[in-house]
Amino acid sequence: MIKPFSFHLKKELKNHLLDYLLLITAGIFFLILLNIFRGQRIIEFIVLVSFALFYIIWGVYHHIINETLHLKTVVEYILIAFIIIFLLKIIILP
Amino acid sequence: MERVKNFIHHLFIPHEENNFRAKSLHTDFLTVYLVIAFLMTIIFKQANLHNVLGFATDISVDKLYQLINEQRQKNNLPSLSLNSSLSLAAQKKAENMFQENYWSHYAPDGKTPWDFILGANYKYEYAGENLAKNFLFSNGVVDAWMNSSTHRENILKKEYTEVGYAIVNGTLNGEQTTLVIQMFGTPLASSFVSQPVQANKTIQNIPIENKPQQVLAKKTYQPKINAFNFSFNLNIVFMAFLLVALALDFYFASKFNIIRIGGKNTAHFLFIIFVLAGLFLSTIGTII
Repeated sequence: MIKPFSFHLKKELKNHLLDYLLLITAGIFFLILLNIFRGQRIIEFIVLVSFALFYIIWGVYHHIINETLHLKTVVEYILIAFIIIFLLKIIILP
Repeated sequence: MERVKNFIHHLFIPHEENNFRAKSLHTDFLTVYLVIAFLMTIIFKQANLHNVLGFATDISVDKLYQLINEQRQKNNLPSLSLNSSLSLAAQKKAENMFQENYWSHYAPDGKTPWDFILGANYKYEYAGENLAKNFLFSNGVVDAWMNSSTHRENILKKEYTEVGYAIVNGTLNGEQTTLVIQMFGTPLASSFVSQPVQANKTIQNIPIENKPQQVLAKKTYQPKINAFNFSFNLNIVFMAFLLVALALDFYFASKFNIIRIGGKNTAHFLFIIFVLAGLFLSTIGTII
């Protein structure tokens, strides 16, 4: 039987529940801060960079406790974080 | 056709030939995306995407005017005509808001919207004003106004026949802002009492002088607006591409029980979703 996407997603979230809860909490906090500082472009950008840095740290922490940390993994988190920062900089701080 | 299919398969589905990771998520591809994103920031900066004050928006008088009239037509009301005197009044109001540093219908010195309308030599029977700031798109401004009962009432007021706009950039309370001023009016047929309506408020009578009218309604930043819209859509498309690549890679890796070295797709997915939500949140401004 083919298991749906949601099955695999739930399984992954369940296996690392606390880690993902931490990431989701940070994400919600990021949205709340953006809402508070809406229109203040420099602060919005600082909030975005902070969230991206948190995401890199989260990635490193998550892979350390799962004993799967590898340089390639860290580079992947850094690359994704900075792609997003540069893309959003065009919108927030052109 | 077969080659295209193989290419897409290689790009999105983890298998032996791409080292069990979607090629579009390999470190070399991610590095290319990063370089492209970095170059885009430089290109858009060089292309002067932003206005003088460094704040980019896709708000234009033409679009606001079109959307407002669409709303009126939906409600079986006649379209408003664009009036240059009302646009001049809106422009003066915006300039005053930046000079006096206030975000209100009334200036700290007690100046009312009607003073600006009368100051632009517009003799009115009815007049009204809607304000918005920090929006990125014309649609967002009109949607916010339509969702507010008092602003909606202004837009759908059957007595109004004319409208004027000003979209002005400046610094308000230390923050770079795009102000949108919308002024409604019904010209006075004869010289009797003026009756202004600003979100259901106030009445005034003020003597009027005649001055030549100026056309300010077309004073927008059209070329920059298109570039901004393009960059915004490009962001959305690129993030959607990343989300699709991550979702497919995650699904097939889970389905085939592939164990590999690399970041967690679920984490990347959540990160991008939150950033996208934040991007949409930043398009919402404030109205009064």
